[in-house]
Amino acid sequence: MKRIMLICSAGMSTSLLVQKMEAAAKEAGVECKIWACGESEGKKQLDNADVILLGPQVRFIKDQMIKAIGDRPVKLEVIDTMSYGRMDGKAVLKQGLALCE
Amino acid sequence: MDKLMSFFAKLGAQRHLVAIRDGFVTLMPLMIIGSLVTLINQVPGIINQMFGTQLALPVFISTLNGNIWWGTFDMIGLMTVVAISYNLARHYDSDSLAAAVVSLSSYLAIVPQIITAVSETGEEVAAWGNVNRAFTNAQGLFVGIIIALIATEIFVSLKKNDKLVIKMPDGVPPAVGRSFAAVIPGGITVIAMTAAVMIIERVFHMMMGGESMMSIFALVTTFVSQPLLHVADSLGYALVVVFFNQFLWFFGLHGSNIIEGIIQPISLQMMEINAVAFQAGQTVPHIVTKPFLDAFVYIGGSGTVLGMLLAIFLVGKAKQHRTIAKLSIGPSCFNINEPTIFGMPIVLNPILFVPFICAPLVVATVSYLSMAWGLVGRTVAIVPWATPPIISGFLVTGGDWRACVLQIINIAISFVIYLPFVKVADRAEMKREKEMEA
Repeated sequence: MKRIMLICSAGMSTSLLVQKMEAAAKEAGVECKIWACGESEGKKQLDNADVILLGPQVRFIKDQMIKAIGDRPVKLEVIDTMSYGRMDGKAVLKQGLALCE
Repeated sequence: MDKLMSFFAKLGAQRHLVAIRDGFVTLMPLMIIGSLVTLINQVPGIINQMFGTQLALPVFISTLNGNIWWGTFDMIGLMTVVAISYNLARHYDSDSLAAAVVSLSSYLAIVPQIITAVSETGEEVAAWGNVNRAFTNAQGLFVGIIIALIATEIFVSLKKNDKLVIKMPDGVPPAVGRSFAAVIPGGITVIAMTAAVMIIERVFHMMMGGESMMSIFALVTTFVSQPLLHVADSLGYALVVVFFNQFLWFFGLHGSNIIEGIIQPISLQMMEINAVAFQAGQTVPHIVTKPFLDAFVYIGGSGTVLGMLLAIFLVGKAKQHRTIAKLSIGPSCFNINEPTIFGMPIVLNPILFVPFICAPLVVATVSYLSMAWGLVGRTVAIVPWATPPIISGFLVTGGDWRACVLQIINIAISFVIYLPFVKVADRAEMKREKEMEA
């Protein structure tokens, strides 16, 4: 099971996306755990995730997150801006799962 | 432009500012509870007044509220030291709890230990062994932040130095060894911080003369806090903060996230002063607090985008715009604007740039003047920023219905400002959609 963690400033707008991604995952029959949290909470949960997706509005914390991740086998990417704005769960799920490969 | 953006990106990831911001995020629940009791506390007073006597239950409730205020807002300065230090040390992957404790100790070591009390005969006497609440609440905030940052830096860098760690011989349980690991770094930090502050106090005393020595708190209040609060409680400051926030969001960066570490320490002091004045029934002094920005300027999220969404519902014909507006209106009612900003998109959109910057600036000006002229009550309570408009206005002003009216007026103003630009953007989008079909 893939574990995808979404991070934005307070985990509010990404939590909206989580719902859409869960629906997309169910539809596609992919088993995964998806959740959203704020920046500081996210740093505590690095060990629980396989993939971390950052909201584009906090893309400036990417370097900091990479440093925090260190040697952990966690993949990190910034969510595509258009998919984020459209709250396109399917596209973001695809982006996340592609990172797992 | 790229350079400017990378500067702000760096600012947003600057570890000290991040530690300050995360520290306040940690304490936010307490501040909201403290605000809540301020609001609830209005009720027992009204009940007692209605019955013309002190009833047991209202008295119990107001004592309860007072106690909670004491445990939250009146201690927020102390907690800030712990929270900021903890977050900074965690950034360095150091022993964050030890760093927090060392910082708190460094802070308390410089707090004045004598208070002036009034005896039963009305005499003013100096009483040793007391901490004035002025040093535990937000008034001590600036000193607290500086101490937390410096003490943590010293502690973390000393702790990294292997020579300063007391080595235990083999056979000593590792847990015992660890308990000694922080002894020398912690000790040096507390001693160095306390000595440094004492030296600063004495140097200033020699330079300025005067009878009694000013504490570091008095110095910081006189030379930093007061001038800063004076500057920060102006329309100009409000407009600068709003402008930067909008500007950053226009480039798709989380504006308030980036500047929060800078504005929160100032805002929080104002909030405390406001709340205390409100409880005492005095004139509330400060206007430009964070709840002021959250509740009256960023209605529907940064950019006052609720007005824009309404404009799209009224005149928008382009499929893309209507879809985004439908998707965004729900989150926007809770001041979450990301779907709007990235979906429309507003980011790097030359047509929407003007209203996106102007609407919040105009709305901020109208709100500031309404409060400055006493038409609307000033902010006295902190509520979660996601509290929907109208409700948020009522709560942050301590129950002033005129604040709700101001919010409605602000939504209307932003609607009018966005309307012509939304029309132009809509026409352009329609044209594009038609071309796509053809």
